[in-house]
Amino acid sequence: MIHAQYSEIDGASAYVEQAGAGTPVLCLHTAGQSGVQWRHVIRELAELGYRAVVPDLPGHGRSEPAPSGPVRDLSVYADWCRSLIGALDLQRPYVVGCSIGGKIALDLAARAGSALSGVVAMAADAHNGNVSLRGLERELEDAAAPSRTDRTYYGTLASVGRSVPARQAELIATMHRREDPAVSTSDLIGWGSHDLRAALPAIACPAHLVVGEDDPWLDSEAVRWAAAQIPGACCTVLEGIGHYPMEELDGFAHVLHGWLAELGESVPREAVRP
Amino acid sequence: MTTSAAQPSSATATGEGGERYFEDFAVGQRFTSATREVTQRDPEAFTEISGDAHPLHTDPSYAATTRFARPVLQGPFGIAVVAGLFHDLAVVDSTVIAMLDTHWRYLQPIHVGDTLHFEMTITRCRRSSSGDRGVVNRHVALIDQHGQRVQEGTTAVLVQARETRDPSEDPVGCAFGTAAWGEALARRLEADREFGSATASWDGTFGLRCGEDEVHLRVYRGRVLEATRRAPLGATFTVEADELTWTELLTGPRNDFTHRAMRGQFRTRGSGYDYLRFTKALTVLVDNARSLATEETR
Repeated sequence: MIHAQYSEIDGASAYVEQAGAGTPVLCLHTAGQSGVQWRHVIRELAELGYRAVVPDLPGHGRSEPAPSGPVRDLSVYADWCRSLIGALDLQRPYVVGCSIGGKIALDLAARAGSALSGVVAMAADAHNGNVSLRGLERELEDAAAPSRTDRTYYGTLASVGRSVPARQAELIATMHRREDPAVSTSDLIGWGSHDLRAALPAIACPAHLVVGEDDPWLDSEAVRWAAAQIPGACCTVLEGIGHYPMEELDGFAHVLHGWLAELGESVPREAVRP
Repeated sequence: MTTSAAQPSSATATGEGGERYFEDFAVGQRFTSATREVTQRDPEAFTEISGDAHPLHTDPSYAATTRFARPVLQGPFGIAVVAGLFHDLAVVDSTVIAMLDTHWRYLQPIHVGDTLHFEMTITRCRRSSSGDRGVVNRHVALIDQHGQRVQEGTTAVLVQARETRDPSEDPVGCAFGTAAWGEALARRLEADREFGSATASWDGTFGLRCGEDEVHLRVYRGRVLEATRRAPLGATFTVEADELTWTELLTGPRNDFTHRAMRGQFRTRGSGYDYLRFTKALTVLVDNARSLATEETR
């Protein structure tokens, strides 16, 4: 059973889905997308004994836009997540995010790590990924951004890993086409300009960085480097997977459950049994 | 390398290791060499032959003060290893006429104790105007025991043909970037409704450049009017990559053009706006170019 609610967070209505009871896991979506990316995982996490919490970030999915317009600074999203954690009274949650969600998870770990059980940052490095900020600024003018939906569609197809069946890749790309270009471009400006490199050594919670070997947005070496800067962090490179592990990997929640178990402290006991 | 006239056709096996004439090479073919260990004898011999006795290659205490920490083989030693390993493959012993060029990059140092091999991809087969021989261009990656590319580049070789033919009779499906390839591609695009629809609001010329070869396709409202080496006003935009990238894209397992473009393997010149308008059209074009290449290979 998925429970849906609208909550007032940082001055706007936020849409949040929750399922299960247990250790909270906050699941963050990618640039321009929404919590629908976690639609299969949310149920599976609940079955594994977690309280899965899946918000739509401001301006995405069913959440209202942020009061000051499209967000270009990922720390604004991180602050919003802290407000959400407080509003829902999530005690020592895990945070798992992908792409900008992964980078937001790292930001939360850097600034509020002691209040978290751990983070899994997928498809994110600590620097700027492979984006051109100049090009993205130009893209904010609709007149300068031709073939916008084609580029989202084909760009998503090209970002899905080789091991994913064609029909599934097609579904992911088709669903990703539902985006607000002003919001997703601003997200990517945030992704490209949010430099967390200096903050990594101070991260005070367990961290696991994950990157797909077929991800054209990231250099896996940059992700390994970031993991090496975080005390005790580990790094996993997923073979045949691209930029969206939670949408590409069958049974992703079980894989995530294994990672959370390795991070330690408060994994549901029932589920940890082999 | 030896120079010789064509041998009797009994020596023309097309499997790996067999003797090959020009016609037996095809774009997209790959050859993997045997391995070769680098021994202490190598830097000594190569220093003697080349005369390059820089202490970086010969003096461990000097090398210890450099970024390499220990002696490094002379860069061209890697090219020599490629020549030797290629000779061992024995694919053109009696058909090779001459080596024509080498364009090379040194990526990582080679040390004594390394074990090297190469992976070679055929990227272009072009019959000469005389019709009795042809140029085979090859991309070569020299790889160490860790799977790391230490050197790479291209090197073209002139090979005897089995039959003397007019070069215009040869298949064009893998002559990427040439006018003949552009014409064959244009015929397919003309018949492709999806391409017509994707370019139905466009008036201009786009260029496709593979290595040194470039062809311009003139499009008006979804119709491909002409494929030519150079349109009178030039191209609105041009998409370009090296021969290896086009070869892998058009003869590989799938159409991964967007992935390669995102990885920076393709560059564009001219109007970036019109290039973006072609996002779908280029994907459809690559589908057509892939079937053109595949059907001719068969």
